[in-house]
Amino acid sequence: MGAALADGADLDRPQGRMSHVERNRTAWTEFAPEFAEWAPRAWGSDQFEWGVWHVPESELEALPDVAGMDTIELGCGTAYISAWLVRRGARPVGIDITPAQLETARRMQAEFGLDFPLIEASAEEVPLPDASFDLAISEYGASIWADPYRWIPEAARLLRPGGHLVFLVNGPHMILCSPDEELPAGRKLLRPYFGMHRFEWDGTGGIEFHLGYGDWIRLLRENGFAVENLIEIQAPPEGAPHRYAGLPDRDWSRRWPSEEIWVARKRA
Amino acid sequence: MSDSERNRAFWDRESDSYQATHRDHIGRPEPRWGMWQLPESELRVLGDVDGKDVLELGCGAAQWSILLAGLGARPVGVDNSERQLQHAREALAAARLDFPLVHAPAESVPLPGASFDLVFADHGANRFADPRDWVPEAARLLRPGGLLAFSGSTPFEVMCWNQPADHMDAELHVDYFGLHRIEDADGPVQFELPYGEWIRLFRANGFEIEGLREIQPPPGAESTYRSAEETEWARRWPMEQIWIVRKDA
Repeated sequence: MGAALADGADLDRPQGRMSHVERNRTAWTEFAPEFAEWAPRAWGSDQFEWGVWHVPESELEALPDVAGMDTIELGCGTAYISAWLVRRGARPVGIDITPAQLETARRMQAEFGLDFPLIEASAEEVPLPDASFDLAISEYGASIWADPYRWIPEAARLLRPGGHLVFLVNGPHMILCSPDEELPAGRKLLRPYFGMHRFEWDGTGGIEFHLGYGDWIRLLRENGFAVENLIEIQAPPEGAPHRYAGLPDRDWSRRWPSEEIWVARKRA
Repeated sequence: MSDSERNRAFWDRESDSYQATHRDHIGRPEPRWGMWQLPESELRVLGDVDGKDVLELGCGAAQWSILLAGLGARPVGVDNSERQLQHAREALAAARLDFPLVHAPAESVPLPGASFDLVFADHGANRFADPRDWVPEAARLLRPGGLLAFSGSTPFEVMCWNQPADHMDAELHVDYFGLHRIEDADGPVQFELPYGEWIRLFRANGFEIEGLREIQPPPGAESTYRSAEETEWARRWPMEQIWIVRKDA
């Protein structure tokens, strides 16, 4: 029950090893051209769809009414969520550690005539003042690529009292059942649940972070959040396959959650 | 037969052998939780109970309530099984204590609303009554700001039950989506929910979520409920958890 303590070592970067931020910037610089290709479709959509199963926000209702809100997207990538937020009347800011992803986001801004600040920064260390946002959101962004023991406190700092924190992660079922190689989860539990925190998958180059349920709740509470909801996404029965080699298929994701959205609120 | 009647019959039938099998393991001199009897003094789930009105849902032989009475609480024990309550009455007499024991299912407790500061269960009624019925009932019984804490099984335990082989293993056999009512051929009906459903159920009944303690038994932990192999499993994946939620003030 001490993932936070168990990972104390990661806070002091071992000599000669790149930090997870550097590793993930390198990995995402490699992934960026692929995401640049898909960015126009996401930017062009009127709907925000969560995760690889494209479940619409209108169905999940994970977000509050965002009109008039100051929002920050933590690990925005090509910033399609912020594009949707600005269309809904929010004042978004997107941050990401990867310049190549931000370049795509800027090109999309020009193409779609939408403008909002984009900042190169890690969600673990955001160069913005305290209490300046009403909503912090992350979908496959900082939520899995930044260390939660650093980015959750940072999100708490950035949010105003009563502010919303909404983020999508893969969840323990998938992480426990995913092989070391970048292959979809099967049914066997391949690693222990206790101590879940930092994960490296062979061949992807990046470093991910995933916690168990109790650890998420404890971390959120310790940072002044009330836990409001946990939306476990079940893949819809029909539809096209997703394009990610490391994520489980539709049949698996009909039975067990491959994605989960935590909804929390900073106590007033 | 309703689930409640079926579980009542099960516990009336099994009570004597249950108490005989587990009496020494769970009859400790200080409050301890769950299958591996981890001390409350370490887990610190309940806080100070002195002077509090406490309701135990599924009290069995009232081992917990008797210990909490010794710590200054005013306990009430509820159980769906008359035979279990018979054991509780004997234990109260032996401890020279007197507090109310109520024969009722946890989803329908014949006591007034807002009369308890703490409602809790240790693998009690929470496992054998439908949470969609007993959680609202616990909310009704608690005063504003009151605590609800209960230990029970986990979704992982349910999902990894290999039915044909009749044991747990390291593989998902049962679907997570739709997890709710678990029926054994000749055993009791038990209940477990997905994590998100628990959270929504608590919120819908006016509870704030304070914690989810996922119990990892220490190396070599012993249990009359679990084999050594099962305890080894439980050192890797959660087999027991304690939800801690507080009714909004």
